[in-house]
Amino acid sequence: MSTILELRNVSKRFGGLRTVKEVSFTMDSGEILFVIGPNGAGKTTVFNLVSGFLHPEEGQILFQGEDITRSAPHVSARKGIGRTFQIVKPLPSLTVQQNVMLGCFMHTGHLHEAEDAASKILDFLQMSHLKDFEARGLPLAALKRLEIARALATKPKLILLDEVVSGLTTSEALALADLLLRLREWGVSVVGGVEHVMQVVMKIADRVVVLDYGAKIAEGKPADVVKDPAVIEAYLGAKYKEMAH
Amino acid sequence: MTALRGWRIFALLGVTAVFACLPLFLPNDYVLQVFFRIVLFAALGLAWNLVGGYAGQLSLGHVAYFGVGAYGMAMLYAHHVPLWLSVLFSALIATGFAAIIGSIVFRLRGPYFTLSTIAFAEVLRLSVTNLPAAGGAIGLSTPALFPPGAFWKMFYLSAVALAFVSFLVNAWTSRSRFGYYLMAIREDEDTAAAVGIDTANYKLRALMASAFLTALGGGLYGSAFQFIVPDSVLSGEISVQIAIITMLGGAGTLLGPVVGAVLLLAASELFKNKFQESHLLTYGILIVIVVLVLPEGIVGGLKQLFQRKTKPPASVAPLAATPAQGGD
Repeated sequence: MSTILELRNVSKRFGGLRTVKEVSFTMDSGEILFVIGPNGAGKTTVFNLVSGFLHPEEGQILFQGEDITRSAPHVSARKGIGRTFQIVKPLPSLTVQQNVMLGCFMHTGHLHEAEDAASKILDFLQMSHLKDFEARGLPLAALKRLEIARALATKPKLILLDEVVSGLTTSEALALADLLLRLREWGVSVVGGVEHVMQVVMKIADRVVVLDYGAKIAEGKPADVVKDPAVIEAYLGAKYKEMAH
Repeated sequence: MTALRGWRIFALLGVTAVFACLPLFLPNDYVLQVFFRIVLFAALGLAWNLVGGYAGQLSLGHVAYFGVGAYGMAMLYAHHVPLWLSVLFSALIATGFAAIIGSIVFRLRGPYFTLSTIAFAEVLRLSVTNLPAAGGAIGLSTPALFPPGAFWKMFYLSAVALAFVSFLVNAWTSRSRFGYYLMAIREDEDTAAAVGIDTANYKLRALMASAFLTALGGGLYGSAFQFIVPDSVLSGEISVQIAIITMLGGAGTLLGPVVGAVLLLAASELFKNKFQESHLLTYGILIVIVVLVLPEGIVGGLKQLFQRKTKPPASVAPLAATPAQGGD
């Protein structure tokens, strides 16, 4: 399998605070990788760095072997990096279908083609019954799916899902997890980011990268990572690390 | 408005044409001149709508392009450029000016953007006021685009033509990828960038198209009133008027600017005759009403009223627990 994404010693500083410290990892195409970590670990910053919304001070980000460290967000999007936002960012006065059409417009200038492509994606996400509603006022579960639908509409090779299951009920989250597994059918590699919905991570992640205070503290298969003393300490405190052994 | 196609377009065109011709039979030039201003400001509102409506960038400096249109026409003509070419060239100059201003002000968002548009327009007004070559504070006389016989009739028809072109540009925008991109920028710039939209570039394109049409309007206006001074064609009041017309009618809608121009200018003209300066009061009251009762303008408000289906019901059907079969 070829490498789709590679981070090499990436660091990002906000003032005196380093929110991402020399993070490196690679990801194969077709893989589902989750970046996890406690609140404030730097997950969203990593996503913003990969999608071009932020640029690192140090390090390099490669997408399909190409250096995208300094790419603008719309350039990264056109190269094939789709993303969702942790705090959902729908286009509120447009309908659900129009929201998705905006993603489709990356590949067609025709309204009808964009409408058709959007309908297909909404079918896949089982949101067809919502397509004529304005995005504002939709429940969170629907808005989270709308984020995915819009990102998917750009036909990305890599999709970054920032906290896409947080704030959902367990059944909603598991339903969405089933769906994320099936994103592979669309030829998409997935980087997910979650703080604590471990059920989803355990169920669908091929591999997990754990961040704590901006640094990578563990990496590996989900089942192994949750037993890692450093991970337990990061999540629960040093006391529980002792108990785990 | 999304279903404007086929025979309906022709019906609309026919009705518009009939109405457009009616004022030609008016008995006096004064009334025709009022109609000229109404239609001209409808055109300006439609031009502004591209930037302020679809792209959601609240420009309060559009008088800059209007003024460049008027002054450019007069000054180019004074330098022996053929009359209609000077109108066209001044519109192109305004477009270039928009490209320069836009590449600076679009770095700013929200109120900072708006303030910077006002600042640019004021800088231009003050520069022209202090520029002897442009007549300074005394002003310039402008060439007449039409012979005295059918003077106001021709100006009125030119304004109708400009409004019509502006309307077509808006209609195309509302049904094109370009327009969708502008709306995405209005709704959320981050989301727009995340789906691959070069937001700075699209805002600039909208502004340039808008500036071109606005400058043509400025050229017409300058010529129609035969004499221009900075306080007439570069006054901030015009920027505000254009924006209010569009927002009153409904920013980001096709018919909004037209409705707004008719209402606001007709109202202020009627009140002006009765109470002199009270038309300014009319503006004030209308702004308050719009902000309180109709934040989306008259056309926008009516759309909300008649398209209830766009509002989600109290409880939408729950999303399915298992996804549908068959992806791509």
